[in-house]
Amino acid sequence: MYNTLKQITLVHGVSGHEHRVANTLKEMIAPYCDESYIDALGNLIAVKRGNGENPKKVLLCGHMDEIGFIVNFVEDSGFIRVAPIGGINWVACAFGEVVSDHGVHGVLVPNSGTKASDFAPDLMYIDIGADSKKAAERKVKIGDTFVLKSNLSKLNSTRVVGRPLDDRAGCGIVLEIAKRIAAEPVADDVYYVFSVQEEVGCRGSKTAAFAIEADVSLTFDVTGTGDTAGSKPMAVKLGGGAAIKIKDMSVICDSEIVDKLARLSKEKGIKSQLEILAYGGTDTSSIQMTGSGCRAGAISIPSRYIHSGVEMIDMNDYKDCIDLAVEFIKE
Amino acid sequence: MELKKLIVDLSSLMSIGGFERFEREKLINLVGEHFDDAYLDKVGNQIFVKKCGKENAPRIMLDAHMDEIGMYVTEILDGGFLRVTNIGGIDTGIMQASDVIIYGNSERLFGVVASTPPHLASGSGKDLPKMDELLIDTCLTKEELESKIRIGTPVGFAPKYTEILNNKIMGKSFDDKACAACALYATANTPREELAGDVYVMLSCCEEVTGMVAPGAYALNPNYAMSIDVNLGRVPGTIKEETVELGKGPSITISAVTDRKLTKMLFDIAKEKEIPHQASVSPTHTGTNAVSIQLSREGIPTVDVGLPLASMHTYNEIISLDDTKTLSDLIVAFITDEKIAAEYGKGGLEI
Amino acid sequence: MRLCGRELLEYLCQKFGPTGFEDEVADAIIEQLGNDCDKVVKDSFGNVYALVKGESDDRVMISSHMDEVGFMITDIDSDGYIKFSNLGGIDPKVLYGKQVIIGNEKTRINGVIAAKAIHHKRREDRFTVTPIKEMYIDIGAKDADEAKEYVNIGDFGVFNSDFVFFGTDNKYAKGKAIDDRAGCCAMIEVIRKIRENNITLPFNTYFCFTVREEVGLSGARVAAERVKPSRAIILETTAIGDIAGAPAHKRVADVGNGGVISLMDRSTIYNSEFVNFTLETAKNNDVKAQVKRYVSGGNDAGHIHKSGKGVKCVAISMGTRYLHSPACVASMEDYESIRELVFAMLQNMKAEV
Repeated sequence: MYNTLKQITLVHGVSGHEHRVANTLKEMIAPYCDESYIDALGNLIAVKRGNGENPKKVLLCGHMDEIGFIVNFVEDSGFIRVAPIGGINWVACAFGEVVSDHGVHGVLVPNSGTKASDFAPDLMYIDIGADSKKAAERKVKIGDTFVLKSNLSKLNSTRVVGRPLDDRAGCGIVLEIAKRIAAEPVADDVYYVFSVQEEVGCRGSKTAAFAIEADVSLTFDVTGTGDTAGSKPMAVKLGGGAAIKIKDMSVICDSEIVDKLARLSKEKGIKSQLEILAYGGTDTSSIQMTGSGCRAGAISIPSRYIHSGVEMIDMNDYKDCIDLAVEFIKE
Repeated sequence: MELKKLIVDLSSLMSIGGFERFEREKLINLVGEHFDDAYLDKVGNQIFVKKCGKENAPRIMLDAHMDEIGMYVTEILDGGFLRVTNIGGIDTGIMQASDVIIYGNSERLFGVVASTPPHLASGSGKDLPKMDELLIDTCLTKEELESKIRIGTPVGFAPKYTEILNNKIMGKSFDDKACAACALYATANTPREELAGDVYVMLSCCEEVTGMVAPGAYALNPNYAMSIDVNLGRVPGTIKEETVELGKGPSITISAVTDRKLTKMLFDIAKEKEIPHQASVSPTHTGTNAVSIQLSREGIPTVDVGLPLASMHTYNEIISLDDTKTLSDLIVAFITDEKIAAEYGKGGLEI
Repeated sequence: MRLCGRELLEYLCQKFGPTGFEDEVADAIIEQLGNDCDKVVKDSFGNVYALVKGESDDRVMISSHMDEVGFMITDIDSDGYIKFSNLGGIDPKVLYGKQVIIGNEKTRINGVIAAKAIHHKRREDRFTVTPIKEMYIDIGAKDADEAKEYVNIGDFGVFNSDFVFFGTDNKYAKGKAIDDRAGCCAMIEVIRKIRENNITLPFNTYFCFTVREEVGLSGARVAAERVKPSRAIILETTAIGDIAGAPAHKRVADVGNGGVISLMDRSTIYNSEFVNFTLETAKNNDVKAQVKRYVSGGNDAGHIHKSGKGVKCVAISMGTRYLHSPACVASMEDYESIRELVFAMLQNMKAEV
């Protein structure tokens, strides 16, 4: 499980530029699905056909994209100006090592003398070690993307840290579910959606959901926790099990799905906790609202320090998410 | 069917965003018999159908949202206190010392929002508390609570309806169930042969939060629609051009984002039938479901209508019963108008 | 009368077409399209669809919006002064003292946006921007009754601004509503070029003149639902900052360097293959084009690319200084570059892009 997750984590895929991740996952999921395709926006959609008489459509979704930077402008000095893609925490990224989609390394730094509280795109630049515009332009052009360097490591037997766990952890879970139910008889059609452009407003899942017209959906994404020093009150804890989403700022999940997940967790002895997130949103909302809509639920992976270079999850929670989802699909 | 009673009955139901189906049986018992069909769509919008009996009739949608503002439990604390998060915009200024009902797993619990005694107040005492700083006191033990409720259990304001001067009434959740009552009342009391088309009254979900009317309108695919929601009443300290007057009839919204011609036709009908009404200008947004319906599919011509209401998003919202009567009249005029049906009822533009 | 080039642009820009009231612009466009299209249809929103049939049934959409930033009348006070609200993003700094035209389907009347004169302002307020809520339109009425003979609440307004060609070789245009009548104008001229050269395009091409872009509630969204294209080209204008003193990395693009191709803006990340095809087509046909060097703004692509099962989009903008004001400034050379680029793209677009 960890090795698969690590493999997915290390692929470059800023919002709008996820094709590398899509190609990797397409190959990885091929043995476990009947067919797969990549749509106009770049979503990877894989299907396992059900054996029921009137199969319903179940949509499982994790997003492939990660937050990052897009090159806006190359200064005469060879410094590179970038704009954010997704919700960048500039303090968390400053003085970090960054890598472009073409493998160019650099460091993201603020203009000299800028206070941390003032960090903003216009006051930051990437230094790739080039001493002139010409030298820089040999390696980087406008439109290239950068990310904080990807990495993943184990802190102890269960806790892992690195980036981008948001939301390659979700992709990993969807992939593991596909593996687990590949050989099992499942009545319903299961659609594995690896969506694009979640970090810029849940755009990819919208068109994927429109095409699929699912009856039921489950989204897998990271959620915050209330167990770090100085954190806002929140009942979700790292290691507390799969987080069954009740609501976040973009969605109120279908109450019957919430109840069913909570019941399954109890019956099957899978550790879970209920999640109310006071900020943020996920693909759950766009899937719920697209076309005629669908009954939408979400299982979240408790995660600390989201959108930094040191996102942290617990592999026990990760496994609980998979177990709970598998039981849900089987029923 | 009496309009005032229907308004109070509907508004009393618990229908906090995400729990619109909580008292669905009661809702069906209240009005179901007057309709040909009552069903839930895929995302939980409740639809009441009344057919006109003609073939290939236009499909007319009347939207009023079913959900009301309220809270969810986020934490169960020692001493029987609860922390909550708001569902829909709530001014925390109204919270302290108010009565609430906690809709537990199998029973209703009573609670009071704790008010901070002066010597415990932080800062100057002049700042309003944030929602996650407020406590609900249940006078139960933590253990009792844990067996009766869970995280996500809905908490609502207690219903208490009282009449005041000039045929006005106050209480919780007239936003938007007073409008829902008017739409149901108007449709139920119109003989089917007078309807200009098949009428679908959609009591939509989650308007106060995320809005589920868009998938509802997409699935229903009506020829034209009226969105009915409450509108900000004029009270001291508000701006004239941003408010409407209680007692002067429903408002019809003029906006760059609703259907201009349909709006004009509704003004003409109201004038012709001498139904009291007032204009309300919302240049770039209506703050209601109207825009979501208008932009659904290939565009659904939509008119936005409002019921004047004072003290919005408190548990003592005020409406005029005269306005609810005239609003019902306006809705009847809309669903029976053959000119609108002729103009908008065809659909199917070939490009 | 059939107008071309500069005359056509001026004619379209001077039409009265604020967001939500685009019919006059639509009528002018339909008149100018004449019989050049296989079909011209208007929907209930007011979007105009002009079809040029091609070899295959695959559908390509080209879209420009007809609406311009403007005003809506919200109240008439007892002295006959008119309160208003803006339609679309207008910087209050460009409003004070400007002439406007107010109207509806039947009437038109002139007025000026006014506010308390500097003499009446408190000393500390003299250098602060007057908020729109404190401004009013003066039409010279003696009281509310007289004002109401000419103006109703809910009526619309636009800037009253002369259209002027000026600068080097008179190649710069100044006026209102260049955003996005320039795009509309280019689409009309592209259609004519296709016809004049007897060209059959590879795909059925829908030229969509859309409504309500400026308030974000795009007519393009329902247009895309109706057309169901596989690809879309959005012709727009974009605010640029190539003015004296602006730091290089905030200039966005340069007037005179051709159509501005976006990689990303606040509402869309553009399909990179389609963007590359656009840049290559420009190169192969010796047409100027430039990549947008800043992430800002948004346009109808935001709705179009997310419609249906997803649409591959590219946006080509005319770099315009002082956008959303009565004095937008743009270069006719850029206009021609964009027209030629679109003409070339439509002929060379392959199924796989």
